[in-house]
Amino acid sequence: MQAPAPSSFAGISDLIAVLVLLSAFAMFRAQLLRSQVRLYAGQSVLVGILTGFLAATHHIAELYVFGAISIILKVVIVPSVIIRFLDRSETNLSSSTSMGIASMTLIAIGVAVVGLFTMDSIHFESTALPTTALAISVATVLVAFLLAIFRSDVVSQAIGFLSMENGVSVASLVVASGIPLVIDIAFLFDLLVAAIVFGLMMRVHHARAKTLSTELLDRLKG
Amino acid sequence: MGNLNLSPITVQAIQVLTIVLFAPLISGVISKIAALIQGRRGPRILQPYYDLIKLFRKETLVPEHSSWVFLMAPIAAFACYLTVPLLIPVLTTFGLPLGYMGDILGGGFILSLAGFSVALAGIESDAPFAQLGGSRAMTFGALIEPTVLFVVFAAGIITSTDLPYAMAATVRSSTSEIVRPAHVLAAIAFFMVVLTDTGRIPVESHSGTIEFGMIDEGRTLEHSGAPFALLKWGSAMKQMILYTILIDVFIAPWGLASTTGLVSVLGAVLALVLKATLVGTIFAIIDNSFSKLRLFKITEFLAAAFLLAALSVLVFFLGGG
Repeated sequence: MQAPAPSSFAGISDLIAVLVLLSAFAMFRAQLLRSQVRLYAGQSVLVGILTGFLAATHHIAELYVFGAISIILKVVIVPSVIIRFLDRSETNLSSSTSMGIASMTLIAIGVAVVGLFTMDSIHFESTALPTTALAISVATVLVAFLLAIFRSDVVSQAIGFLSMENGVSVASLVVASGIPLVIDIAFLFDLLVAAIVFGLMMRVHHARAKTLSTELLDRLKG
Repeated sequence: MGNLNLSPITVQAIQVLTIVLFAPLISGVISKIAALIQGRRGPRILQPYYDLIKLFRKETLVPEHSSWVFLMAPIAAFACYLTVPLLIPVLTTFGLPLGYMGDILGGGFILSLAGFSVALAGIESDAPFAQLGGSRAMTFGALIEPTVLFVVFAAGIITSTDLPYAMAATVRSSTSEIVRPAHVLAAIAFFMVVLTDTGRIPVESHSGTIEFGMIDEGRTLEHSGAPFALLKWGSAMKQMILYTILIDVFIAPWGLASTTGLVSVLGAVLALVLKATLVGTIFAIIDNSFSKLRLFKITEFLAAAFLLAALSVLVFFLGGG
């Protein structure tokens, strides 16, 4: 018996969610900090597209506003702030990792599988997006988390955190796409605060250590 | 004339002939397009045919320490490439008599056998660069294998069969079959497999003469004359077979003949050549827009292909495929 295909709507939205996950994987491959920031911007564009797609198919006007604000914030403002910081710091253009990219990818696949099947066993039914998107978003969060763990420089760690937030955004689209706009914007405000805090920490770290690498922090005492 | 029906066996023979006769043409078109992109006039489109004729006329030299394997392996590989077009949908939407002789994996095994023969011939040649090419081809062949397996799994679970015809029919059946993540991811993964297996950038430079970067190309360095012609022809056929699988099973199984009428079969031949040319153009553009990966970075490319193929199967099992 042939397995029936999901509807075109479910297929396309799952596909966009998978692309969000893949961009998290692509960050492992990106050695240059600049290209990592660009990947983050691309990932945010994908989340924006998913939001717009959901808004268009479910006729939720508030989601358009939410999508527009989040694109302005996550595609334009946050990446340009980080890029400007990189331009000024002029040190550590690339990141260092202790592991090969192929093995990191394999570990990340393993972690993603855990995320995918954990969420799948919950049997959560959503009216907005297919449940698969929720599982994929959790996998995105875990993979981005792994990025922040593997990389030993402040920019990659910040990008890892921010793309975790992208994963959470997708999850929130699945779970609660109908919530009032005020709450959505409150979440975005949280993100802005996080970006500011990270920006400050990156600056302070760079001013103190004269490098973006966090390897030095292991050696500091008391 | 339009009502003239061919017997299925004839159609099957035409399938093989299409691959045999048009494979050098596709190679010629690709190198012409690559030349145009680089701003050169480039060789004639029919140049691969002239090359083959020239090589068949030349004498065959055999290295001193090599055995009969050196001469037999090109023939074995060529025979493999003649067999695979029997198993895959080249021209028709329906299975031909010998089409059910083997499934997708069967076709894959025969292609691997061909690759193994050529690598064996390279190793038998007792020349360092050919041996290097042979051992590298086997190493990277082993690394691409998991991806191929997962692509086959994806096709298998989508259609619940292991027949390439069923996959093509499923893709044709509706739009939701095309956009389903399992299909899109498996198709992209297979695209990357084809890039690797046809020796294209980012994995290998096709027109390079630097032996240290060679993988597939390196294996045939010691061959000459008719065996070399068979190897070159075989590699063009392998390329066209892989393009055909990519086109007729995964990305564009349209324009195939649904009857055995002469006109529809000839139309399908024309459609396949056009589609393969189009795919070849895309490969030529990729070939000229990226730089070759360092040898030890190729694993990253293969890991990415594996990731796509594995995600395709995973997403399917999550119910979202």
